[in-house]
Amino acid sequence: MENYRANIMLCGGTGCTAGGSLKIREAMQQGIRDKGLEGEINIQLTTCSGFCPQGPIMIVYPDNVLYQKVSLKDVPLIIEEHLIKGRPVERLLYKEPAKKQGIPGIKDIPFFNRQVLRALRNKGLIDPDSIDEYIARDGYQAAAKALLEMTPEEIIKVVKDSGLRGRGGAGMLTGLKWERAASVKAPEKFIICNRSIIEVEPHLIIEGMIIGARAIGASQGYIYVRTGAPIIIERLNRALQQAREYGLIGENILDSGFDFELELFASSDEFVCGEETALLMSIQSMRGMPMPRPPFPVEKGLWDMPTVINTVETFANIPQIILNGAEWFRSVGTEKSPGTKIFNLSGALNNTGLIEVPMGITLRSIINDIGGGLIKGRTFKAVQVGGSTGGYIPEQYLDMPVTYEDVTQMDAIIGSGGIAVLSDLNCMVSSARFTIEFAVDESCGKCPPCRIGTSVILDLLNKVVNGTATEEDIYLMEDLALDIKNTSLCGLGQTAMNPVLSTIRFFKDEYLEHINEKWCKAGVCKELCTFYIDKEKCIGCGACARVCPKKAISGEKKKPHHIDQSLCIQCRSCYETCKFNALKIGPRSMREELTDNEAAAYIKGAIKEVVQQ
Amino acid sequence: MIELTINDKTIQTTEDSTILKAALGADIYIPNLCYDRRLRPFGACRLCVVEVEGENKLLAACSTPVKQGMVVHTETPKVIKARKTVLELLLIHHPLDCPICDKAGECELQDLVFKYGASTNRFKGERRHEPERLDAPIVEYNPNRCVLCGRCIRICLEHQGVGAISFIDKGIKTRISPAFYEPLDCEFCGQCIDTCPVGALGSKPYRHASRTWYMEDHPIICPFCGCGCTTNLSIREGRIVRARGKEGVGINNGDLCSKGRFGFDYIVSENRLKTPLIRKDGQLRPVSWSEAIQTVAKRLTEIGDKYGAFSIGAIGSQRCTLEDNFMFQRLMREVVRTDNIDSAARFGYAKAQTAFEWAFGLESLPIRWDAPLKADYILVVESDITSTMPVWGLNFILAKYYGSQLVVADSRETKLARNSTNYLKIRPSSGLALLGGMAHVIYHEGLYNKEAASEVHNFDALIASLNEFTPAKTSLLTGLTEEQIREAARSYASAKSRLIAITSGYAENTKSLYTFLAAANLVLLMGDRPETLQVPAEFCNTLGMWDITIRPLVNGKDCYDMLYTQDTPRAMYIMGENPLVTFPDISTVERALKKVEFLVVQDIYLTDTAKLAHVVLPASSWAEKEGTFKSATGDLQRINKLLPAPEGTRPDWEIIRDIAEAMGGNLKVRDLSDVRLQMEEYFRDVLGKHIRTRLAFNPIRYELMDHTDSEYPLYLVTETVLQHSGSLSVLSKNLDSVVPEPYIQINLADAERLGVKHDYFVKVSSRKGSVFLKAIVTDEVEEGTVFAHTHFSYGKVNILTYPSVVSMLPLVPVKIEPA
Repeated sequence: MENYRANIMLCGGTGCTAGGSLKIREAMQQGIRDKGLEGEINIQLTTCSGFCPQGPIMIVYPDNVLYQKVSLKDVPLIIEEHLIKGRPVERLLYKEPAKKQGIPGIKDIPFFNRQVLRALRNKGLIDPDSIDEYIARDGYQAAAKALLEMTPEEIIKVVKDSGLRGRGGAGMLTGLKWERAASVKAPEKFIICNRSIIEVEPHLIIEGMIIGARAIGASQGYIYVRTGAPIIIERLNRALQQAREYGLIGENILDSGFDFELELFASSDEFVCGEETALLMSIQSMRGMPMPRPPFPVEKGLWDMPTVINTVETFANIPQIILNGAEWFRSVGTEKSPGTKIFNLSGALNNTGLIEVPMGITLRSIINDIGGGLIKGRTFKAVQVGGSTGGYIPEQYLDMPVTYEDVTQMDAIIGSGGIAVLSDLNCMVSSARFTIEFAVDESCGKCPPCRIGTSVILDLLNKVVNGTATEEDIYLMEDLALDIKNTSLCGLGQTAMNPVLSTIRFFKDEYLEHINEKWCKAGVCKELCTFYIDKEKCIGCGACARVCPKKAISGEKKKPHHIDQSLCIQCRSCYETCKFNALKIGPRSMREELTDNEAAAYIKGAIKEVVQQ
Repeated sequence: MIELTINDKTIQTTEDSTILKAALGADIYIPNLCYDRRLRPFGACRLCVVEVEGENKLLAACSTPVKQGMVVHTETPKVIKARKTVLELLLIHHPLDCPICDKAGECELQDLVFKYGASTNRFKGERRHEPERLDAPIVEYNPNRCVLCGRCIRICLEHQGVGAISFIDKGIKTRISPAFYEPLDCEFCGQCIDTCPVGALGSKPYRHASRTWYMEDHPIICPFCGCGCTTNLSIREGRIVRARGKEGVGINNGDLCSKGRFGFDYIVSENRLKTPLIRKDGQLRPVSWSEAIQTVAKRLTEIGDKYGAFSIGAIGSQRCTLEDNFMFQRLMREVVRTDNIDSAARFGYAKAQTAFEWAFGLESLPIRWDAPLKADYILVVESDITSTMPVWGLNFILAKYYGSQLVVADSRETKLARNSTNYLKIRPSSGLALLGGMAHVIYHEGLYNKEAASEVHNFDALIASLNEFTPAKTSLLTGLTEEQIREAARSYASAKSRLIAITSGYAENTKSLYTFLAAANLVLLMGDRPETLQVPAEFCNTLGMWDITIRPLVNGKDCYDMLYTQDTPRAMYIMGENPLVTFPDISTVERALKKVEFLVVQDIYLTDTAKLAHVVLPASSWAEKEGTFKSATGDLQRINKLLPAPEGTRPDWEIIRDIAEAMGGNLKVRDLSDVRLQMEEYFRDVLGKHIRTRLAFNPIRYELMDHTDSEYPLYLVTETVLQHSGSLSVLSKNLDSVVPEPYIQINLADAERLGVKHDYFVKVSSRKGSVFLKAIVTDEVEEGTVFAHTHFSYGKVNILTYPSVVSMLPLVPVKIEPA
């Protein structure tokens, strides 16, 4: 066992890999070899650190220094300055907004130190492809305990007592689900892990599934991966292979007498296959369309046998519950929603990425404390909770605790764990329209409310966005959306209406502005906005003119500039560039007015010239 | 039983029921589009949503199980609004085709919108206007009218066991189609058409044929196979426009097959005979009925007087009614005074009947419709049940769905083989060996019912004959492994309830009397009741015809004696049968018929046999006369005169009555009611007369009539296809559009070896003769075997075949060369 003086952990999550962390690792390895330091310094890839937009991420241990946005050209600098001379590279450190000083220590970065890591406890610490490193961090201890020291009933009891709720969105008590499946008599039972993104190390999923299989008496398990990402599939296959070699999958696991076969099932990228009955259809080589429930999968699932379907995060919590007990699990979170939850924080915040926080934390705390507040210059408008089909929550409800029960009151869902912050630069109508477009694309086509209804709603939202809608259309949309929500066969149709319903509920004035004033104040709906320059505020710096793709802005240096409406494509680049608040967004009608005014002014000027002559 | 309340009405229902089923059973209508009582709940249309007290969401009635004390409301404002919206959405893109849509007047969407829909649509959308799919026979699909209820897909997959169509594309672009938008290639049973609630799926023969209110519906029994299904004929101004199944009606309860649904147009074939014909100067010339009757009477009397009554023979019809056949055998027995009367069943059902008598001492063993549903273990031996008894065959698929083991032993991949739990691929005609092998294992491993077997005669003789069916010998004969044979025997013996199903068609050349005896032996070994062996009588009235004694009773000549020995009768009267096409070894049949001095043929069209006749008598057909059929289940069912008989034709029994009178006989019959009264008496007196009460084992032998050799290296198996029935159905243009010609199926490897190309003609020769057939190269048949059907007269496939002597297997060795 080598004793390194420094361990460099390069984030190997999908985002950072896409950002080049593999190449950075190679470069670092080469650089270290060149300096003859390979015996002293270890470089390895780790599981996702969760700080995805700031990636590629590099953490240097034992200094606990975090570098963000590392690129290939930084490598020599890091080696020279930090590893040899012991001076952290200031430029690459995380900086809090409005602060000049970088925060080197990961423990001091609020984004990290406010999180409570349970499912993500190995985040950024181990090589996701190494079963040994996983085992070194107590990996598979819970599986051993469950198989060798506990009965299935005891396993189910501790999961029930923990109050763990399915982290996939609906929030059903996991212990209850397992209990139901265990109680049904059938020749075969199945356990399935359902997810499109794998945030944790594969071995954690495998371990959780082994324990679950033991609890319900399943002999066959599937990890259902609904995406074309080859990296995920490779990682999972490697992990399954390793687990099999170590006798953790297959016959007579750990000499316990328990057999469990676990396989990967990779399907094409269909959103609707996240719905559990559609998922089952897909595994059975049928078209992925939901089937009515009842019968529920725990009674009649895969091949009509009892089947438990849980997501990655649910399984990820299981090993720790087994090792530490139900009380420990309940020590964070709320009474009805104990434990932690992984969220995908995104939007107009300073810090975004994958976080794990106790249930019951308020939205305000997530946004300000962990997210670091809104980006400078932007104001909060709404937060979308639940992923692409979550509802929008306005400012006045930000103190709402994030729990399963509170969130559904607001026409939102925990769902895939997405928390997206919208600012004044987002148009609520356009956001709702985007979600509906997604639903139209992903609808399987089985039931008329979703198949036809979402298209109708999309047509109506298009009318609003194009400026041809009437007020009547808002009520039509709301009415229809409610009916669609009430009659759709599966969660896709039911939840797709959340954005529409919540935006109409909380942001009706935006709709009315779009319809009556033909004005998209956020400047997103191109048909409903006019970009113009406030001559009082403009100092003529020319920054906007430089970013305009159509060269529509003209003006002399240090003199107020002017936008040619006939060239402007409403891309909003100028608005986002101006630091002097001189760029304004007006209603559609202004375009014609301004053009007319300018034409008038031009003619006036021309007449003046003629007259002067 | 549980109790629940729907709309304040208390209902009782079974525990496994759903809200919708319970409601419909209590005459409370809950609107639905995607529900079909034969299928699993699908939950697609969302029209059946209801409010249940204690639930905050609307629940779909079709898939929600009932619970004790449940309180359901189906007409609350929330529910009504939801239904209206769903219908509104469906109508946005649904084309306003009612004025030209064939479904108008019977359209479920029309009815639902009329009752539950809004009268205006709040939403505007473009009507769909995609082209129709007309590229397949029989079935047309209009995607614009389709509401995507999925009934057609599910009926095809779940109920029919085929799965030819499915959803294609997704979201708003979803359609119904075969895979990859290829043209439809399936059984063309038409179940999908009947279950479609709107005008999306239709039948091409019916396209634009009528508006619903111009038609009258009449039920009638189908004239094809022994199922005895009731079809509903829609008749417009004296023409049958279409046939449909109707829920709750008939033993088939609304299910039909291709023949039942589309074969009805055979009666309007241009080839129908319109006038009696007499051979004068070598040519058949039209004559009057009186001349024809007088000629027949005169010549029969002459020949009877000259050579004796024993020189006259008759062949009756498996398709004519009981009344027709009854009168026929009366004419022969009472007036002509001969016992030489038989039918084509001699080559088929007669073997099964003999087995019933010898093994069980039974005169008759009709099938039971629900037999497959009551068996845990079903063994089907070399029988394409879903082609020859299609609707009964659905019960086999249903039994498997409910968990029964369905073991299919066959040399060709049939639909039942594809739907089986265990498919044993055996060599052709070795089903007999498999049954023997199973008996051997069951006996030697002590798995048989010792007590019951000890009460059955001939036990020792059976065991001695089983020495030829050791696992090793059986393995050689069948091509299965010894382990497979042992496993089949063990699972057969250990099942709680058993069923052996074998068909007995006269065109099938893979079975002999011993096949049926071998099956009966197994039944008796296990101490099971005779009903454990189910052998359906082939055609609509085969069982009836057999019961009404169209067979020699007292040493009369049977078909084999009459046509295949030197004993050809001097005069023959053939009714409703076409030996020159459908009997085996037609060269011999032709020689025999040409020797007949006086041949009378009574049929509905000028068959090949009729072309040799001296007198041809034109008969009325199905739906043109009154009559009774006895189906394979033993049910007596009436067919009615729904159409005027074509000019010049008369019912068979009437013709015979007149001939009898002209011959001086007095059958004491004036009209049909007389016939029926006398028939009843006859049934009472004849049936049940010769009962042997003892049960007996029967030793069996595996003997082929002929073996392959280097010159004739392949075995030809003849069989029936689903879409045709004997030589009658080829008159139907509808059925001909699906299977238009004779062909021979040959394995890929054999084809390559012999240089045979798919869809090209080949010369097929046996020791009896040669024919030319189109080759279909497929993997449905194994190497060394070829399959051909015998339905088309110009195919002349029966030139190649052997007449099946009772105990030997008439499999035919053939050779194939590219033509």
